[in-house]
Amino acid sequence: MSIRKKITSKPWLPMLIWIIGIILVWEIAATIVSVTKRTPENVLPHLYQIFGQIFSTKAVSSGKTATMLVLDSASKTLFRAAIGFITGTVLGFVLALIMKISKLAEKTIFPYLMLIQMVPILGMAPIILSITGDINTSRIVIAAILTFYPVATNTLAGFNAVEREKYDLMYSYAASKYTIYKKVLIPYSIPYFFTGLKISAPMAITASILVDTLQGDGGLGSMLSQSLKHAMSIYVFWLIVFFSAFIGIFSSYFMGFLEKAVLPHKRKTKIKRKDDAV
Amino acid sequence: MKKNTGKLIGLLCVSVLTVSGLGGCGSKAPAPTEKAPEASSDAKTEQAAPKTNEDILVAAAQAGKVGNWGLGNEYEVKALLTKYGQDTSYLSQAFDMDGFDDDSITLASAMTYNELGLVKNDYDGGYGYGDSVNVIDMNDEGVAMLEDNIFTTKAFAEANPNTVKAFLYASIKGWEYAAQNPDEASKICFNYGSSVSEDHQKYMASEVKKLVETDMSGNAVSDIGNMDEAAMKQTLDLAKQYIKLDDSVAADKLSTLTLDDIRNTSYLTEALASDGKFDNLEKTDVSIQLKWLPQAQFMGYYVALEKGYYDEVGLNVTIVPGGGDISETTAVNNGTVDFGVTWVSNLIAANAGGMDLLEVAQIYQRSGLVLVYKNDNFK
Amino acid sequence: MSRKLKRKKSLWYRIHQNEKVQSAETVLLPLLFGFLFMIMWQTQKLHTLLHTDTFTLPLPSRILTIIADNSDKIMLNVNATVIVTLAGLVAGSLIGYGIAVLAALFPKWGSCGLKIIAAFNAIPIVALAPVMTNWTKDVSNHADIRSMVAKIMVVTIVCIANMSINAYRGLTELKPFSEDLMCSYAASKRVTLIKLRLPNSVPYIFTALKVAVPSSVISALVSEYFAEYIVGVGRQIRENIVLAQYSSAWAYIVVACLIGIIMYAVLMIAQSFMLKKRA
Repeated sequence: MSIRKKITSKPWLPMLIWIIGIILVWEIAATIVSVTKRTPENVLPHLYQIFGQIFSTKAVSSGKTATMLVLDSASKTLFRAAIGFITGTVLGFVLALIMKISKLAEKTIFPYLMLIQMVPILGMAPIILSITGDINTSRIVIAAILTFYPVATNTLAGFNAVEREKYDLMYSYAASKYTIYKKVLIPYSIPYFFTGLKISAPMAITASILVDTLQGDGGLGSMLSQSLKHAMSIYVFWLIVFFSAFIGIFSSYFMGFLEKAVLPHKRKTKIKRKDDAV
Repeated sequence: MKKNTGKLIGLLCVSVLTVSGLGGCGSKAPAPTEKAPEASSDAKTEQAAPKTNEDILVAAAQAGKVGNWGLGNEYEVKALLTKYGQDTSYLSQAFDMDGFDDDSITLASAMTYNELGLVKNDYDGGYGYGDSVNVIDMNDEGVAMLEDNIFTTKAFAEANPNTVKAFLYASIKGWEYAAQNPDEASKICFNYGSSVSEDHQKYMASEVKKLVETDMSGNAVSDIGNMDEAAMKQTLDLAKQYIKLDDSVAADKLSTLTLDDIRNTSYLTEALASDGKFDNLEKTDVSIQLKWLPQAQFMGYYVALEKGYYDEVGLNVTIVPGGGDISETTAVNNGTVDFGVTWVSNLIAANAGGMDLLEVAQIYQRSGLVLVYKNDNFK
Repeated sequence: MSRKLKRKKSLWYRIHQNEKVQSAETVLLPLLFGFLFMIMWQTQKLHTLLHTDTFTLPLPSRILTIIADNSDKIMLNVNATVIVTLAGLVAGSLIGYGIAVLAALFPKWGSCGLKIIAAFNAIPIVALAPVMTNWTKDVSNHADIRSMVAKIMVVTIVCIANMSINAYRGLTELKPFSEDLMCSYAASKRVTLIKLRLPNSVPYIFTALKVAVPSSVISALVSEYFAEYIVGVGRQIRENIVLAQYSSAWAYIVVACLIGIIMYAVLMIAQSFMLKKRA
């Protein structure tokens, strides 16, 4: 009895059941598809077929196996995603800072930040290319544009969440504006900043995959579209779908990990809160 | 109660996994047997009175099941539809042949060297229809338009005439070698980071050879790269008729374009007449953007690179794969790359839109586009 | 307090503090900025700044001419895109909210399920759209209908995760002690849900929609790239870009932006109306 209770109270159990459930649904659907469709691997292959490809030694393109191909192109994509993400983050933070310093700037810029999100940025790729003159720079610029918004809005929300009393305290110390930013505003906004990062990190990766398709010279996005054209094994496509989802989730958790490393006190308060609850 | 549910779930998991496993195994086995009756039924249909291309096209068009990729690849299909008095609308075909496979498109566009091979053959990525499919050839129907060429901007050609000639000389040499040795050329392409399997690469090389060496009426071509006057004229006329532009300024410009606005034969003539020695190269580091992914469709350039033909004329060439949303016309126009490979119709549309591009050689001498259909669907 | 008294209130300061002036500023400043931007664009100052030409970045007057010339064709494409966006947005938000309610009722299983749904957000649209096109092949014999279903499914999936996560927060992050209060009333789970959780989640719904509206427009545009039936603003943008017809492409880009802006404006109006009523 107690053993069963121990197992059922484990926090990972629901997750495990969920994953098993999804695998079940997938496999049932894949079984139906494999009977009804002529080319089931294009519609919904079995999971073991997809993951079998990881260990397959058959060369699918220029002497590379499917796994090598995916990892190879992933390194290009992730490199661009990382640079785009860092640029976007810096841009977002600076914009938030500018908007906090000047109310005038906030009122003028903020609606346009919203607007940039509505522009089909892929359509603007030729313009960005003609400005930067280099396809990889354009890719990074677009990835940065697609990712800065969550950072900017969340950080600004963090600045605005600072209570009146904190200002009053700083004023009573006759602190300079610079000191107020350094000692109060920026530290206070860091958790919000990380919330923004957690949203924008997976976005940077999907954005980077999207801009890979601008040109066919490698990267997950171009491999994705190439394998869709059936010129090489379609399983490369499925591998990339799973891989990109995994990396996206991982990146978000990685930001959470970074947050804990940077802000140990937050970790403590969280633990404390948990104790209170118990 | 809870214990039981757990057990039940466990049981269900195991049973479903076994069933799906069995299903997975089972689905592979019947595939070859499935094909056998198909082939035999085709034999019968071929004996029965064959339908004309017109019957097939009309039937497919009435059902709304003619497919093309669009994005500037559709003009020949539109011309053919018009020729037989049909409406020019078509379905957007994905860059695979699944739509053809499941009959949502019964008359699908295919390039002889690419999609047609996937439809017929049964190597990785192929559908294995063999001879149970047939094609309508654009060249036979008189609506062919010229495809892969070599182009640059007018400004670049005027500023770097020797570089253009040297590039043409080496590229044509590469194409000549590739056309004579398609198997070797396909291997070279495969090693240069190809996007397709080795088998398909080999098939592609053999088909591309035909497009490079024969013209629209099926005669042998004297010079690779030659810009045939009549074929260019036919392409331009069809382009004027079927390229529809929303921008009135561009549409006006399109209607006034002449052959001299889109091509210049002098660079090629001088390059071929030369002895292969080019002095005073204005630019030695040049790049060429392909129209599509790296594959044997562009084997001439890869052969020239691999065999050192570009080095011999003093050029350092980078081959940039295409197939993305930044088209080759855009990339050449804004100077990201120096040369490009595109279809003549795309070059015409780009020039109408305000670019100043110039064709300097015509590699493919006939249209590689066909409409493919399953015999069974048009008995 | 003493600080405020010391400072002499200038006229400028008092005008600035006026509520009406402030709300006018929120509208006027962006408009002024936009107006200046347009002037720079039309007079080609922008082109010098970005080192580009009027071919890649056509003048606003030219773009507007093209929109006016092709209004019929554009409306046809706008219709298709708007139907897909709205249908996907509504379906995705409803399903997402439903999932959130279920998750709030069964928190142990629900919170885990939400994490898995969030994982769907990490799948790029470029991968999702072709898969959906393949999955909807049997929906209808008419390509226009099955393409629309595929596009709506892509938008729906994009909206579900966003809505369910936000709504779940709205349903569970209640005001302190309000849940205890409901407990002390011996309120059933159902009553707590209707009287406490659902009203509490309304602002969170709007937070979710503010993200969902732009992302649903963008995903509708991208899914049109892969759809079988050729229609939609996104498809037109791509066709024109590939064919190097930048002026026409820009006309459709402007139209796409307008769709997003109008939908967002409607949302903001709805929000102020709903939240004011509650207050």
